[in-house]
Amino acid sequence: MTNVPDQTPRANEPIVATTAANYLNKAQIAELEKSQTLFKIVYTQFKEHKAAVIGAWTILVFVLIALSAPLIEAITGLDADSQNVFNRYKPPMSHIQASSDTRETTVKNFLTANPSEALTIENKLIESKAVTSTKAEDALYDWAQLDSKTALAAIKDLEIPKKHELSKMVKNFETLHVLGTDELGRDVLMRIIYGTQVSMGVGILVALASAFIGLIIGALAGFYGGWVDTLLMRVTDALLSLPVMPVLIVVAAIDLQKLPFAKAVLSSGNESILKLVFILCLFSWMTVARLVRGSILSLREREFVLAAKTLGATDSTIMIRHMFPNVIAPLLVSVTLGVGESILFEAALSYLGLGIQPPTPSWGNMLFNAQELIYQAPYLAIIPGVLIFLVTISFNFVGDGLQDAIDPKSIRR
Amino acid sequence: MITFILRRLLQTLLVIIILSYVCFGLMNLMPGDPVELMISANPKITTEDVVRLREFYGLDQPTYKRYFNWVSDIASGDLGYSRTYRIPVTDMIGPALRATFILSITSLVFSLIIAIPLGIATALRPNSKLDYIVNLLNFAGLSLPSFWLGIVLIIIFAVNLGWLPAGGYQTTGLNYSSWWAELTDKSKYLILPMVSLSIQSIGRFSRFARSSMMEAMRNDFIRTARAKGMSNQVVIWRHGFRNALIPLATIIAISVSSIFSGALITETLFAYPGVGRLIYSSIMGNDFNVAMVSFVLSVSMVLILNLVADLLYGLIDPRISFK
Repeated sequence: MTNVPDQTPRANEPIVATTAANYLNKAQIAELEKSQTLFKIVYTQFKEHKAAVIGAWTILVFVLIALSAPLIEAITGLDADSQNVFNRYKPPMSHIQASSDTRETTVKNFLTANPSEALTIENKLIESKAVTSTKAEDALYDWAQLDSKTALAAIKDLEIPKKHELSKMVKNFETLHVLGTDELGRDVLMRIIYGTQVSMGVGILVALASAFIGLIIGALAGFYGGWVDTLLMRVTDALLSLPVMPVLIVVAAIDLQKLPFAKAVLSSGNESILKLVFILCLFSWMTVARLVRGSILSLREREFVLAAKTLGATDSTIMIRHMFPNVIAPLLVSVTLGVGESILFEAALSYLGLGIQPPTPSWGNMLFNAQELIYQAPYLAIIPGVLIFLVTISFNFVGDGLQDAIDPKSIRR
Repeated sequence: MITFILRRLLQTLLVIIILSYVCFGLMNLMPGDPVELMISANPKITTEDVVRLREFYGLDQPTYKRYFNWVSDIASGDLGYSRTYRIPVTDMIGPALRATFILSITSLVFSLIIAIPLGIATALRPNSKLDYIVNLLNFAGLSLPSFWLGIVLIIIFAVNLGWLPAGGYQTTGLNYSSWWAELTDKSKYLILPMVSLSIQSIGRFSRFARSSMMEAMRNDFIRTARAKGMSNQVVIWRHGFRNALIPLATIIAISVSSIFSGALITETLFAYPGVGRLIYSSIMGNDFNVAMVSFVLSVSMVLILNLVADLLYGLIDPRISFK
């Protein structure tokens, strides 16, 4: 990033120095006179915008949650995909006991994994009268059917091997679902956390990719002008004038299996995610292209471009080395605003059943079924929407704050 | 002026043609073409039958030939039949377009009625507490997923309070005794979709009204008017507001497209029988004829409305000259 020239008028300098000398020491004056980098100016300005700062923190929190999803899964022992038809539509904060079938299977697995230790444990359990069973081979099974507190108390004072493993096993039998369970008995919290990954990932990816497409197209149109400009801008205008949602639906409904070349590219499991990113990119680069074209048009007339041309720089050097650094600031704003918009579009398409396909969770497709379940489980419909709202508004505020910080002339307040 | 109109008309026409052709091509890529569906419905079908069927429906011809056939059918007024409902598409598309038109217009008017006063009030008192709160609400409106707002509205007003119907267009099986009864009944069904569709445009219009009003109030003639001793009301409404309206007109014209776009989701959510829902349900139900016609017709209408707005813009502001 280039240094911004010192903008204080020269004539004022002595006055500033004499008045400042009364209050500031030399080091502070030196600090004031140092030229600030663009980043620093933007940062100080950005901090003034309270809502934008709050938004930035919110985004950070969500990004951290999304990144630590596997960690959270490991700690809570909850699985985002494990279904449990006996425990559907449980309200938030409900404890769920594993069925006796599940318990027996777990004990059986334990017995086959540790045949030698199992016998000692079983004998000890019978000795301590924790279980009423008489036969050794039944002891562990009976113990596993106890509720978790009694079961833990029973083995607490016993001198047995694999104690840690056993207590972990019992703890897993009783699961706490902080946000309840959905229509298939899956834990809503875990699905939301993984949904954060998908929804924010799609939003950020689409915003970045469409900014890239827009940058290229806008730069080509602005730099070369003439028929290139006319052609590219007509296409841009035409796409901009289309109502987005019907067009997205038509494109999203295509079966990619029918396209021979797409088959090879999209054969991975995350096909619906990639497809959605591609489709959203196709229809969201236009605003960036117009913005970049505008800036490039004015940059083209500047002296440094003329200088570069005189020195024999190629078109691509002028564009990439000399023009793009000047476009980055407004581009950043529109990427930030684009993330919010893309998250909304992803949610809308997934809500219509044309976006991210289950079982991959996303905030939008969690709402897909929720509408029919308004009576049984209204919270299923409310939670993902609140998150979409929070993240989108955060990105919008950050974009607004960046806009003010980058272009102080446009400050609203 | 004439050349401008002609050029814009030609552009719009070209977009419609390209769009409909691309859309026609895309329909082939959707899962389940008509003959495949017949094959799955009839286990006794033979390979010869399949070939014959394909020939009969013209599916063995290349896309561009079928497109021309389709266009010439449309041009002669034959929109084809719906495969799901077994009725002519003409009978479906008319009421659907009307329903969407009513929804979009009421939503547009509703959002303007709310947004413009908010925008002007905040423009006249920048940095006040009101300005701050309205700005926050504008951002909230812009960031709310409209379909989710719709679900929440249904939960509150239809499920919990029971004040308004959760979806539909009119009470089924009701014979209206008077036009007033019809109006009240239908508007009851319109309120929730209208609110959920409007929320985003309220945020957008209000922000825009604020900035264009502030821009207008910064003009020299405002200072002149004040210096002449005109009352505050006259300055604001006669001089400021009228000039603020011009840029506002553009944003309204642009938002026709986005309101229609949002109407698709709202209509689906509230089971409102508009053209957006028709597009969605026909695509989901592999009803390609209906999907094509409703998609192309409605998008063309949006594009033509944009064109009309563009031309009207010149009438509002005589300073604009068409090149």
